[in-house]
Amino acid sequence: MIDLIVFVTLLALGYGFGRMAETGHYRSIHRREKAFRNILLIAARFPPPDLVPRKTQLVAGSAVISVDYFKRFVAGLRNIFGGRVRSYESLLDRARREAILRMKSQARALGADMVFNIKLETASISKGRRNAIGAVEVLAYGTACVPQKHEA
Amino acid sequence: MQYENPEIPEGINVTPEHHLKEFAVLVGGALALILAIVLLLGWLAESIAAHIPFSYEQEIAGDLGGDTPVDATQVAIERALQTLADGLVAHMQLPSEMRIHVHYVDDADTVNAFATLGGNVIVFRGLLEQMPSENALAMVMAHEITHVQHRDPIVSLGRGVVVGLALAAIAGVSGGDLTDSVFGSAGTLTALSFNRAQESAADASAVATLAAYYGHVNGAAAVFDLFARLEAEQPLQPPAFMASHPDSGDRSTSIAAQAHAHGWPLTGELTPVPEALRLQ
Repeated sequence: MIDLIVFVTLLALGYGFGRMAETGHYRSIHRREKAFRNILLIAARFPPPDLVPRKTQLVAGSAVISVDYFKRFVAGLRNIFGGRVRSYESLLDRARREAILRMKSQARALGADMVFNIKLETASISKGRRNAIGAVEVLAYGTACVPQKHEA
Repeated sequence: MQYENPEIPEGINVTPEHHLKEFAVLVGGALALILAIVLLLGWLAESIAAHIPFSYEQEIAGDLGGDTPVDATQVAIERALQTLADGLVAHMQLPSEMRIHVHYVDDADTVNAFATLGGNVIVFRGLLEQMPSENALAMVMAHEITHVQHRDPIVSLGRGVVVGLALAAIAGVSGGDLTDSVFGSAGTLTALSFNRAQESAADASAVATLAAYYGHVNGAAAVFDLFARLEAEQPLQPPAFMASHPDSGDRSTSIAAQAHAHGWPLTGELTPVPEALRLQ
């Protein structure tokens, strides 16, 4: 019975805090995505040949986001029934967007207006070990193009 | 080069569906699955467990309830209980290898008697103190002996073990100790004691034994009246004998119906409780 009470409490805490963190994070993501919209992201490896010569530099951004107790439990149940693990989808979506935003903020600091050759890498921190902290890292990197000032 | 960053609409990678809805659906599904597994495996285990030889059950039971009474009074009580049990067994067509051993526990707070593995029947002091007549005590004893005869303890154990294993396996595949705790307690709740069908069968057989032993079934219903009264006095702590048992009122009624169907007299002279068992 004690086990059950502890479990339900953890579940409620996980849900409450997880929900709070997620809502807040999405609000911040939406705000910053708007602010960084003028930095173009391009998946192509090379800039088109007609682009005026620019200075290029590697930019990267990484985000690590932990899963909460509630999400992990729901995902555990998904192990039985299969289907979309929605609780992890939002987690990865946040990590991905946060990583891109951090990369973009680095690009902005360099004065870049576009980033080429965007790559995303995802890593699980816990590597499926039991009792380990379930967290995911997403790394975004690319080649920032900084326009050269034309000397008049 | 023409290129623009379009605003990507929300809800492609992440569905706006509420997490609690998904949670409710999954937990509901999991519980339904567990229930189905418990019912199916429980049923299978029950059908198999009844075929386990009684000698093997005795081995499992080992020294269960075998602690010897400390003083002469307790020896006398246990002997008197054993005599009554032997008298009842003579009318019950038990297989020859099925021996009933009655044990007495000097605990006045527990108004209970129960049957367990290996033909051991345990009677508590609290029960003896409440017995109005030997007939009533015989009703309880015959009821418990029937559990042994019907192999209910081993069936119950088999069900518990199999269901417990199944639940442990489910908790294992879902990959978390989180699930262990929920599934674990759901398992223990379902695997407790005997079910209603077993209790009703034990009642029916006990009444038949009473009719054969005394020639009438007077006193049988008194047991249920007693337990109903105790239950009313302590609604929060019903006597253990009542747990999972059919409603006391229904049991009295079914005794009357059964007696009528077989032509057993409902009235008759009550035998007083034997001297050794008269505890106040």
